[in-house]
Amino acid sequence: MLSRVAASFYWLSRYIERSDGMLRMLKINYASSQDTVQEFTWEPVVRIFAGSGSAEVSKLGNNGREVMKFMVTGKENPNSILNIITLARENARGVQEHISKDLWQCLNEYYHKVKDPRWDRALMREDPISVLDELIKQVMLYYGTLEITMERGEGRSFMNVGKYLERAIQSVDILDAKFGSASGNKELLTDTSYLKHLLLSLGGYELYLKTYREGFEAANVLEQVVLNNDFPRSVIYSVVHIQRYFDRLKNDSNLEDFRELSFQIGRLESRIRYSSVTSIEEEGLQRFLPHVRTELYGIGNSLNEHYFANS
Amino acid sequence: MQESAYFDKYNPIDGVWDEMYGKNARVRDHYRKVIEYISGESADDLNKKEELARRLFMTQGITFTVYNSGEGIEKIFPFDIIPRIITGDEWAFVEKGIKQRLTALNLFIKDVYNNQFIINDGVVPIDIIYSCPHFLREMYQLQVPHDIYVHISGIDLIRDHDGTFYVLEDNLRTPSGVSYMLENREITKRLFPDLLPQCGVRSVTEYPNILYKNLLALSPRQIHNPTIVLLTPGIYNSAYFEHSTLARLMGVELVEGRDLVVNNHKVYMKTTIGLQQVDVIYRRVDDEYLDPLVFNPGSMLGVAGIMGAYRKGNVAIVNAVGTGVADDKAVYAYVPDMIKYYLNEEPILKNVPTHQLGNPDEREVVFKNINNMVIKKTNGSGGYGMLMGHAASEQEIDEYKLEVLKDPRNFIAQPTISLSSAPCYMQGELTPRRVDLRPYALFGPDGIEIVPGGLTRVALKQGSLVVNSSQGGGSKDTWVLA
Repeated sequence: MLSRVAASFYWLSRYIERSDGMLRMLKINYASSQDTVQEFTWEPVVRIFAGSGSAEVSKLGNNGREVMKFMVTGKENPNSILNIITLARENARGVQEHISKDLWQCLNEYYHKVKDPRWDRALMREDPISVLDELIKQVMLYYGTLEITMERGEGRSFMNVGKYLERAIQSVDILDAKFGSASGNKELLTDTSYLKHLLLSLGGYELYLKTYREGFEAANVLEQVVLNNDFPRSVIYSVVHIQRYFDRLKNDSNLEDFRELSFQIGRLESRIRYSSVTSIEEEGLQRFLPHVRTELYGIGNSLNEHYFANS
Repeated sequence: MQESAYFDKYNPIDGVWDEMYGKNARVRDHYRKVIEYISGESADDLNKKEELARRLFMTQGITFTVYNSGEGIEKIFPFDIIPRIITGDEWAFVEKGIKQRLTALNLFIKDVYNNQFIINDGVVPIDIIYSCPHFLREMYQLQVPHDIYVHISGIDLIRDHDGTFYVLEDNLRTPSGVSYMLENREITKRLFPDLLPQCGVRSVTEYPNILYKNLLALSPRQIHNPTIVLLTPGIYNSAYFEHSTLARLMGVELVEGRDLVVNNHKVYMKTTIGLQQVDVIYRRVDDEYLDPLVFNPGSMLGVAGIMGAYRKGNVAIVNAVGTGVADDKAVYAYVPDMIKYYLNEEPILKNVPTHQLGNPDEREVVFKNINNMVIKKTNGSGGYGMLMGHAASEQEIDEYKLEVLKDPRNFIAQPTISLSSAPCYMQGELTPRRVDLRPYALFGPDGIEIVPGGLTRVALKQGSLVVNSSQGGGSKDTWVLA
């Protein structure tokens, strides 16, 4: 497979996964903003998905409607759904003959849906959840179509590596933002609705209820999001899947490159696998999470260097 | 037969051959079934079909982007739902004519890049060849596989007032539009269920298979699985959709210039498992941009060193480099002579009479009759830089004359040929619009094959004779009946 094509697969997949995470996060945030008596803060969401510090971001303040518009249809926000789906589609266009026709049409539809001019008004004045739901449905269609129509080859392996890498980074970022921002405020960590909200935004609420009978505890939440093998948004689940799909790229003619990356992924996987809530707490979340994140970024950089090389 | 309401309201243009409207205000036989079919549909139904077609084009991403105030707007190439129909007899004639013409043109290209018999025998003047910007000295005595230069051509045909076919242009470089031939048919299948088999419409789906078979036969390495690629300028090219469609239909790799690299006169593509040698390149990049070491040094679209690999015979390039010398508009005038010279046959398809403005006598005649003339640049395309004498103002004519006198070799003139018209569905009724026809001919080691069909371009503006998509043209599905 062409290096450029592999890179397009990888990025296409990362953008779609990112859009999924963002949309779900926005939806849950909005829902809980309707549910909170005290001051609700949009700051973590903005920080995770748009970075902080730029003039546009600080202008948003804590206005939920403005934040959602900025994140979904904001043209000036490089990480808005509109812009990342445009990029995803551009990547897909570059590999159009490698993906199934159904998948291309599905992505194309997603793109046209995001471009719909009605959303601006709907996000500002109407029920934003219907907008977000409609877009989330497009992502689900994409994943369903992918599952059914996409050949099980190298391309799909690159897509999955991208997808799970993006997901792992997101979960780490969300934990960092939520526990990090709360670290100065012990009260929040015992606040049931705060933890519930975190789980909902990762889609892990129902699993939590089934696993832990004793109510909401920060340590349990941490355990599920980092270490639970059965939770599809957990860091360990994502890293195991990066490893699984990367292993499929093994080929006799590039063993050296393969080994180097394989080593890197394996190292991260063991680091997480042989951690426990206690060991993480001893080490300190503020050390553990950035470390995992650096390793994840490192995997991305190595892929770029060894597999996507553009001279 | 009870003629339909749509047909009764149809107003053919005076003095123009209409594809549907025959003698004594009757529907021509080959259009009868289609007219019957749509008579059973209300304007509402037809509008719905139009909308369905638009949606299908949109979701399939068969769009091009118009950049406006910094924001890309997706547009579809306008499509008219009423098919253009060609009878089996008409097709047999066109097919024979194109095969003859293409055979001669291909021999001509081989000749001008090798022995130049045709020049030495005084059939085609030497200055016409050497002044042509598409005549590439780099091709001199470069041997191409099977002596085939024009593997893919899209010869444009038009019909005069009595229905005679004329060749308007020979597109021998990188003709585009074939994906519309394929996609228009797919969409028509959805719009008019069961109608195609009832009418006995011949299939066009073989096109990618024939093309693939031909590409495969060109591989310089005798191996069972040579690497064939389609070289595209990239996703911002207006024909990108076509490139990816063809690559998908043939199952070949779609590459950009930056994916390829030349080492030791061999072409390789950069893959995730290292370099892989490339054998055949179907390129959709113009000659000028193909190799920055030989042609335009600023080109980012090509591959440095590819011409060296080509000359060594390590890679086949399709179409061959330098075929533009044969579709130059000044050379066009000599095609009938070429057919006689190389094949000793009378041309089957007629040329539009063409005046060389480089010749002072002819120039004078043309300027005298400028109102009945179309003047074109010899290397122009896309319908740009033309003067339509019958529609231009005094001032436009005077300005254009000055332009011509600066470099007369660059211009030719042809009498205005009134393109034939075909019915289009517009605002609830059928109205005639001008059409041309571009069949796609594939030239391989086994000979020339033409899939029965092609691209019918239509001038959607009332009264317009320009069918180019850049100037308000659209397209129609093209049916060839068995």
